[in-house]
Amino acid sequence: MAPTWEQVVRDHSARVYRLAYRLSGNPQDAEDLTQETFVRVFRSLADYSPGTFEGWLHRITTNLFLDMVRRRQRIRFDALPDDTERLPGRAPSPEQVYADTHLDPQVQAALDALSPEFRVAVVLCDIEGLTYEEIAATLGIKLGTVRSRIHRGRVQLREALAHLAPRRTGVTGEGS
Amino acid sequence: MSIPESHLAQEAIAALVDGELSAGPAGRAARHLAGCTTCRMAVAAQREAKEALHGSADVAMPGDLMSRLCAIPFTAEVPGSGTGPGDVRASAGELTVTGSSGAFSLDLTEGAHRRGSAGGRWFRRGVAGTIVGLGAGVTALALTLPGDTGRAPAADPVQPQQHTEVAPPVLRTVTVGSPGGLGAPGGTP
Repeated sequence: MAPTWEQVVRDHSARVYRLAYRLSGNPQDAEDLTQETFVRVFRSLADYSPGTFEGWLHRITTNLFLDMVRRRQRIRFDALPDDTERLPGRAPSPEQVYADTHLDPQVQAALDALSPEFRVAVVLCDIEGLTYEEIAATLGIKLGTVRSRIHRGRVQLREALAHLAPRRTGVTGEGS
Repeated sequence: MSIPESHLAQEAIAALVDGELSAGPAGRAARHLAGCTTCRMAVAAQREAKEALHGSADVAMPGDLMSRLCAIPFTAEVPGSGTGPGDVRASAGELTVTGSSGAFSLDLTEGAHRRGSAGGRWFRRGVAGTIVGLGAGVTALALTLPGDTGRAPAADPVQPQQHTEVAPPVLRTVTVGSPGGLGAPGGTP
């Protein structure tokens, strides 16, 4: 029996929202990305082939995120050539991040500091638990590129964490 | 036999942490790590970053987002039928979307009253389209009726044919064959 649209939404929306939040780092963008992802899903249900639904959702969400980032970078580039990261005023307070995600705000801040391409690879690997092969398929890149983006992304993440929280155990010291 | 001076490739370090190295390379990496502090530290750093993210709990979705997502079939702009969600068929309490490789049913009975005004939009568009279609049919029919206007529309085929007060109150002014339209008032049903 074919699932109803409500079932599709109930089964997958939490996961899509989580991915969108980890990628964008704030609830407004996460909501927009989630909404847009499901609009795309609805419009192209005809193209859906069974068995790849989650991969399809990952692909749509990450592509929408990267599109959003590139669009903003273009806008930013005209105004402020030195800063290519984020639009100002969209970042929520650390308290807000914690209330929304229960994720250490410093971890989310460190994640936000990564370049979008590295962030996507690291989030898909370490939060979504995708294999390298799945990540390569999702992003349309080679396996070697996945490996190097994950490696460099984690190196940057760890540096950002050390910078944000110098007293954090396990980040500054090599022990444990 | 591995040479101690050549450290593990960065890609191999990430892959080792993620269990993505096949048995052969993983074994070689393990032998190298046994004697190389630098690479052990690099592996530990990767693992720390991974664990920092791994511990993240679920994100709570905003309460109203779910209902907005459920309402997408009724609120989303759907492009022309060519790129739309395949064949859409409505039955008593269900809307069935059939694509090339599967079908989705949208239950219209359950919670239909909850959706309120948004629930009708999909159908309203369909109904409006039908009415427009009917209107065009009436218009075409009206235009084929001979000699009921007192004018001679066929006299000059280049000029747009204009009928005024053909069949009140349904039609007042009907313009055919004029691409830009003549801006006749009340021309659209």
